[in-house]
Amino acid sequence: MKGRQEITVALTGNPNAGKSSLFNAITGAHQRVGNFPGVTIEKHEGYVDYKGRRITVVDLPGTYSLTPFSPEEIVTRRYIIDQKPDVVVNVVEGANLERNLLLTVQLMEMEVDLLVALNMIDEVEEKGIEIDVKQLQKLLGSHIVPTSARQKRGIDSLLDHILRIGDGVIEVGKNKLTFSPEVERAIVKISGLLSHETALEGSNHRWLAVKLLENDREAYHLVQQHPVWVRVELALQEAITECERLHRTDPEVLITEDRHAFIRGAMQECVRQPNAAKSSLTDYIDMVVLNRVLGLPVFFLVVWSIFQVTFSLGAPLTHGLDLLFGLAGRALEPLLPDPLIKSILIDGVLAGVGGVVVFLPNIVLLFIGLSFLEASGYMSRAAFVIDKVMHRFGLHGKSFIPMVTGFGCSIPAIMATRTLKSRSDRLATIMAIPFMSCGAKLPLYVLLAGAFFPPATAANVMFGIYLLGIVVGLWTAWMLKSTVLKSDSEPFVMELPPYRWPTLASVIFQARMKAVMYLKKAGTLILAAVMLIWASSNFPRSRDLEAGLAREKSRIESSSATPERKAAELSEASTKAQAAQLEYSLAGRGGKILEPLIRPLGFDWRIGIALVTGLAAKEVVVSTLGTIFSMGHAGGGAADLASILRSDPGFSQATALSLMVFVLLYIPCVASIGVMKKEVGAWKPVLIYTGYVLLVAWTASFLTYRVALFMR
Amino acid sequence: MKLSELHVGAHAEVTSVGSEPLVRRRLMDLGLIRGTALRVLRVAPLGDPMEIVYKGLYLTLRKSEADGIGVRLIDTESAPEAGEQHLRHRRRFGRAS
Repeated sequence: MKGRQEITVALTGNPNAGKSSLFNAITGAHQRVGNFPGVTIEKHEGYVDYKGRRITVVDLPGTYSLTPFSPEEIVTRRYIIDQKPDVVVNVVEGANLERNLLLTVQLMEMEVDLLVALNMIDEVEEKGIEIDVKQLQKLLGSHIVPTSARQKRGIDSLLDHILRIGDGVIEVGKNKLTFSPEVERAIVKISGLLSHETALEGSNHRWLAVKLLENDREAYHLVQQHPVWVRVELALQEAITECERLHRTDPEVLITEDRHAFIRGAMQECVRQPNAAKSSLTDYIDMVVLNRVLGLPVFFLVVWSIFQVTFSLGAPLTHGLDLLFGLAGRALEPLLPDPLIKSILIDGVLAGVGGVVVFLPNIVLLFIGLSFLEASGYMSRAAFVIDKVMHRFGLHGKSFIPMVTGFGCSIPAIMATRTLKSRSDRLATIMAIPFMSCGAKLPLYVLLAGAFFPPATAANVMFGIYLLGIVVGLWTAWMLKSTVLKSDSEPFVMELPPYRWPTLASVIFQARMKAVMYLKKAGTLILAAVMLIWASSNFPRSRDLEAGLAREKSRIESSSATPERKAAELSEASTKAQAAQLEYSLAGRGGKILEPLIRPLGFDWRIGIALVTGLAAKEVVVSTLGTIFSMGHAGGGAADLASILRSDPGFSQATALSLMVFVLLYIPCVASIGVMKKEVGAWKPVLIYTGYVLLVAWTASFLTYRVALFMR
Repeated sequence: MKLSELHVGAHAEVTSVGSEPLVRRRLMDLGLIRGTALRVLRVAPLGDPMEIVYKGLYLTLRKSEADGIGVRLIDTESAPEAGEQHLRHRRRFGRAS
């Protein structure tokens, strides 16, 4: 054991105990983010080289306890039991010691090599709280190091202690809490039984017995597999009856109360709090922010600001990136002789990469905003204010902000659902998000509403479309939560942490991580899909069409028309050829195959193509419509798309409405599907969901089309 | 009396925690056990989740979740922390040999 080169440390602690800040202070830039196996809980791992040794630090999720009820707690427990880190550092918030010690006590029960970091010691001093560290050490049996991540205090001392515990220089006292006599008797009996079971050799029998008495699911599963279970079950039953008789409650409550009583005792012995409980700054802020009258306006103001920052501030950046990719394309164009290679590189690769990268400013800005809200403490308050509305649809108050973000772009919105703890809440929210009409769909609404409705009605039509999306989204969530996702709703029981200024480093770190995650995981998939759609709208190539275009070009060149006339005719000819090529391509054929299916919605094969190419990104629907509807149009480039559509026999007001509804509801773009798969963790639910949205979109469009035809 | 029935500003002591297992566990982990003295701080603007404060912790919970918590009103004039004295002090905990 002694002098090993590498030492592994697990960081545990309550949410808001400053665990992440301490993690950042220890590891600096040496971090990476992964996932714990099987769950979408982020695993932050980092290392620091200290005194010639490498200390690897794993930041476990924040928990109040170690019951198997939340995924965070299960992850923490499994990590400690299975991975056996050399040292477990328990980060406790000095100013709220009493509450934080519950986790400490449970870690003591697990008999791990525990080290307590008494964090935010600066706050403790500010508040005039006196903590008798020596006495507390005696009671807990483990060393306590005062730290402050913000002031970078105590970090070296913490690392020294870690090394010494890892090397066995410090012996961590194996504390044994004694519980109420009846519970204690049951523990002795059950752990005695467990120690005779050879299969359970090497596990902590006393701890297991306590967990069984606490009605712990995981402990039950473990022990039930073995023959000893028959006798254990009997002993458990006995203990329950005994506790019921003596205390009119079950062992689980007694054990928890005993832990709290121990903590209470330790607090009385070791901590002096200044008497007068003054109202803190948090109290004053909450008087306004959570006020019955002001609460909602403040909430909407905050949501609106986040939205503004993400999309208004992001728009010029997105636009700039778009321009940059356009410039790159134009710079590249003359260098490439072959038109096919040109098309692959410029329309395929460059457009594909561009399509992925343009979302980046939005993602980074949104996550700067969201991690600011989260770290400052407002996020829980937002959930508190809006929970009643969300709860009506089976959702959690925390679902609101991701859903609103969906109006800008589904991708960051889906990524933002990570604040939701319960998997079923997350899934329901993720599946409601694509119905929140995203910014990329707006150009189509503007085009169609503007072309087919007078200005006064057009705005109402667009409002109606957005409203329909919200209704269908909430209905979807409600339906999911009352059927397949019925179980495992997160209780709303939630602490409102005191307001804090987030550290700039942690906000930036969060945003950077999200950006990298998006580019790495989603980027590859999105790029591949965009390329695929590009290929299907360009292949197979028609030799006849290419030859025809060449003939047409040489005819125009050699004609006696004015240069302007020539240029106009040339561009018209190439647009026509493009449209004909699109019709000839796989996407075009797909559109034609689709026609019987979409005929009832008022769509012909040309709209079918636009819907297929729209899978790449919803903005593409408008540009495809532009290419394909200008085909065969006499006016050529002279007329704008709106008037072309208006004059087209295949397009009526009813078609326009139906198309808007369909684009609102049908399959989200490949980028969001990619992110969805990443967040959900499996293809199956995503594919089922895709089928569902198609069905909903078809039905809604069909009804819209028929009603619109009837009303006319 | 149930916690959900208390008015804003009321002081009370927890007499039983009997919500469904998941909620009960979470409440107990957050230190809301029998004998805890609490105060109802506010309800949300739309009238549902409520906020209570005890032992320096600000906790929000839905009224449906507060339904399972039995409380009794305490006289705040005489002893602001009256509830704490009812904690069971059966014995001191410490190291076992």
